[in-house]
Amino acid sequence: MSNVTTASTKEAKWWNGGKSPFDVEYGKVMMWYFLMSDAFTFGAFLIAYGTVRFSTNGWPNPNEVFKSYPFAGEGTNAPLVFVSIMTFILIVSSVTMVLAVHAGKMMDKKGVVRNMILTIIGGIAFLSCQAWEWNHLHHEGAWWGMNPFINADGTASSTNFTNFFFTITGFHGFHVFSGVVINIIMLIMTLTNQFEKRGHYLMIEKAGLYWHFVDLVWVFVFTCFYLL
Amino acid sequence: MSNHDTHEHGDPIAEIKKVTIILSVLTIIELILGFWMIGVTSEGGRLAIKGTIVILMLAKAFYIVAYFMHLKHELKNLIMTIVVPLALFIWFITAFLSDGNSFRNLRNTYDPHFKEQATIKVEAKEGHHGEEGAHATEAKEAAPATEAKEAAPAKAAETEKK
Amino acid sequence: MSHEAVLHAHESHGHDDHGHHEHHDTFLTKYVFSQDHKMIAKQFLITGMVWAVLGGLMSVLFRLQLGYPDASFPWLESILGKWAKGGQITPEAYYALVTTHGTVLVFFVLTAGLSGTFANFLIPLQIGARDMASPFMNMLSYWFFLAASIVMMSSLFVETGPFSGGWVAYPPLSALRDASPGSKSGMDLWIISMALFVVSSLLGGLNYIATILNMRTKGMSMTRLPLTIWALFFTAVLGVLSFPVLLSGFILLIFDRNFGTSFYLSDIFVNGVGALSNEGGSAILYQHLFWFLGHPEVYIILLPAMGMVSEIMSVNSRKPIFGYMAMLGSLFAIAVLAFLVWAHHMFVTGLNPFLGSVFVLLTLLIAVPSAIKVFNWLTTLWRGNIRFTPGMLFAIGFVSLFISGGLTGIWLGNAALDIHLHDTYFVIAHFHIVMGVASMFGMFAGVYHWFPKMYGRYLNNSLGYMHFWVTLAGAYMIFWPMHYEGLAGMPRRYFDFSIWESFKQFAELNRFISTVAMIVFAAQLLFIINFFYSIFKGRKVTDPNPWKSNTLEWTTPINPGHGNWPGEIPEVHRWPYDYGKDGVDFIPQDVPVGDHESSH
Repeated sequence: MSNVTTASTKEAKWWNGGKSPFDVEYGKVMMWYFLMSDAFTFGAFLIAYGTVRFSTNGWPNPNEVFKSYPFAGEGTNAPLVFVSIMTFILIVSSVTMVLAVHAGKMMDKKGVVRNMILTIIGGIAFLSCQAWEWNHLHHEGAWWGMNPFINADGTASSTNFTNFFFTITGFHGFHVFSGVVINIIMLIMTLTNQFEKRGHYLMIEKAGLYWHFVDLVWVFVFTCFYLL
Repeated sequence: MSNHDTHEHGDPIAEIKKVTIILSVLTIIELILGFWMIGVTSEGGRLAIKGTIVILMLAKAFYIVAYFMHLKHELKNLIMTIVVPLALFIWFITAFLSDGNSFRNLRNTYDPHFKEQATIKVEAKEGHHGEEGAHATEAKEAAPATEAKEAAPAKAAETEKK
Repeated sequence: MSHEAVLHAHESHGHDDHGHHEHHDTFLTKYVFSQDHKMIAKQFLITGMVWAVLGGLMSVLFRLQLGYPDASFPWLESILGKWAKGGQITPEAYYALVTTHGTVLVFFVLTAGLSGTFANFLIPLQIGARDMASPFMNMLSYWFFLAASIVMMSSLFVETGPFSGGWVAYPPLSALRDASPGSKSGMDLWIISMALFVVSSLLGGLNYIATILNMRTKGMSMTRLPLTIWALFFTAVLGVLSFPVLLSGFILLIFDRNFGTSFYLSDIFVNGVGALSNEGGSAILYQHLFWFLGHPEVYIILLPAMGMVSEIMSVNSRKPIFGYMAMLGSLFAIAVLAFLVWAHHMFVTGLNPFLGSVFVLLTLLIAVPSAIKVFNWLTTLWRGNIRFTPGMLFAIGFVSLFISGGLTGIWLGNAALDIHLHDTYFVIAHFHIVMGVASMFGMFAGVYHWFPKMYGRYLNNSLGYMHFWVTLAGAYMIFWPMHYEGLAGMPRRYFDFSIWESFKQFAELNRFISTVAMIVFAAQLLFIINFFYSIFKGRKVTDPNPWKSNTLEWTTPINPGHGNWPGEIPEVHRWPYDYGKDGVDFIPQDVPVGDHESSH
């Protein structure tokens, strides 16, 4: 026992108390653990989706369902085009968020403001795309409990395809929405010099973690619903 | 408070640029595979492409977490406490999916109605307006319901026999 | 150092987001909207006690039905109204009582009441912190819990009654609004209440984790943490990682109930209605999602009790805990295994038999760390200089119950036996002993042991002894016979057994169980009286360290204010179990290591 605690290796010292073993403030530890728990929320959704797919004989072909984009005619057949635009919007907004965090570390208020505005625009653009897609699918007759699409092998499909699609993308969209709200609050706090007064932009870092997590979840949602 | 800026590696902006390019390339490869898969009909071929896509997805997740979320530049202590619990997902996914698969086999074996459903072809519906679509679904739902009504007492009789 | 200065030291100690700290406490800021972790702990404890009494009362009512199925009690009708027409509880009311009893005791009493109380109270005191990492979130955690409580309470009063499909809320009873009276608005309120509860436990859990990791005082390395803190740490991790899965499951359930989806519904034929249009879902999916939380939940309930029992045993045996690292390793092993074994609750659902056998293997593995813990407790007692305080007695009672209930767990973990015993009174006996009563004993042990720190007064010892012996004897008398009933095939959740020829032999046994249940419930009122009497009139604590304990909470003044230590936070130089070392009775953690001291 005692030789464990008296060992003065660099590793052990981090855990000796009086300071954070991770060298970060408690808010960031909490944010990381919150994101882990949120990962389990999304994980449970996606795994439930996978389980139902595995326990069903047929499943609709995503390329037949998601084949349109705004301002296209009725008979468009352009699978993956629109969703790839959505994916790139989210990746780009994630990049601007990293740049905002970096600017925050450099205490560069202007950089933070510019990049936060870009991130917020990206978030709103993504939400608009999602709104269009939901609206489009709804017009085709898809909703919770309603599935106009048939299975890839031509048999009748259960409603679980649309059920899961709307539930999971809806839950993700809710996260994007709350991320945008958080980012707007951060922008206002930056503009009113709150972080300048505190001497650090740690709140931007935490908001950034949340925003990247939203992007991360989309990587999984995008793959599970549109590609597989 | 936190002084991890002191052990930053290299030029952060260059790193952000590099990761952005990697993420874009990975996404484009995913999309190419997705387009390619439309033409592939063999079960094995599709499975191989799907497997590749999943690996690419995990690679993207790694780059986002490691560089955008900055985890790679944190202390090893933090990395371990975040990454190790995520290993729980392995059994979470394995058990759920394999039981889902087994549930399908069970139903295909013991539930004639379920098995029959997988063989009856239906017409694809082309409803472009909300109302039409809704009617179409109702009609579709009504059909299996009546079938089920006939099947259900038969099932009940079966179980009673056992 | 003035109080003012202390709080500033507190703020510089890693806090950047909250510069509040009012010193002029009004009644509202001191007792209601308090951000002091000690007050929040007391709020959790007292709310938990209210629920424990209500939950216990419910069990008395449904035991009355099981013990006296033919008798009529006119006074019941005057309390329950239409739920007890003619003085006899209706089947609907019986199921509502059973369901609410389960939900309330598992979540509100043994989760919030146990880890909410003791994590809040002990973590900052034992690791040497002024307060939780985020006192504001801590307050929110209690308020979400209270909101969950109020919603659950209100569900008891809706027209169609509270949810009555069992605390596990399996679909289709929970998913179809017309399945039973309780599946209507009662179930809506049940889900809302549970969702609020998940938020509360998440806010609390994140706080506990961040506090234990980040806020330890100087010298308090992870291997110098008292086992209580380790147990509470693993509890918090379990909660943070498993409750969200339940939340996902509930969200899907809400869609099934209200938006016409069929996540959990398929092939349902209702007499008089016909076949439902829901196709393609899987009720097993809900059970998987539920038990992915449900099994870790068992350890969320047990681990804090284990941690406190370890601490209390060591203090009152005047001996170091036997095998600190083994205790720690077994806590870790239990926490990991908790996530891998959920489907052993589902052996009879149509689970893949091969998968089932993997779950059997993983389940039986839990016996290893559990046995390590039991043997370490027993060897801690061995040749100790034991003080039989009520707290110590409850700790020993915990070990006794954990052994008796744990052994039947090995039976039930085997799929081959479980298929026979599933959903019988054997299961009721098993989990009530190992999880319900044992954790209750851990909770009582904690209250008796830390009451002097909470209120600066002692609980009455004589009442404590009476409470202990009646509860211990009563718990065994209630649950031991249930094993036999279960082996004979008596199913759980049945309203009335008197109509079956094969269960008539148990009529007298059931009456005996019901009578003992009422006596045990009355004994708990003894504790409640003791608790509230002692807060105001109990014997005052004069020694700041009444149990001669090593841990840091006893280095604070008898009535610590917000901020815990009036001066500097003590520095830690040793592990918390230096009892009887080198002939010295006890050496507190803040005493520096002497030159000639041997290592333990």
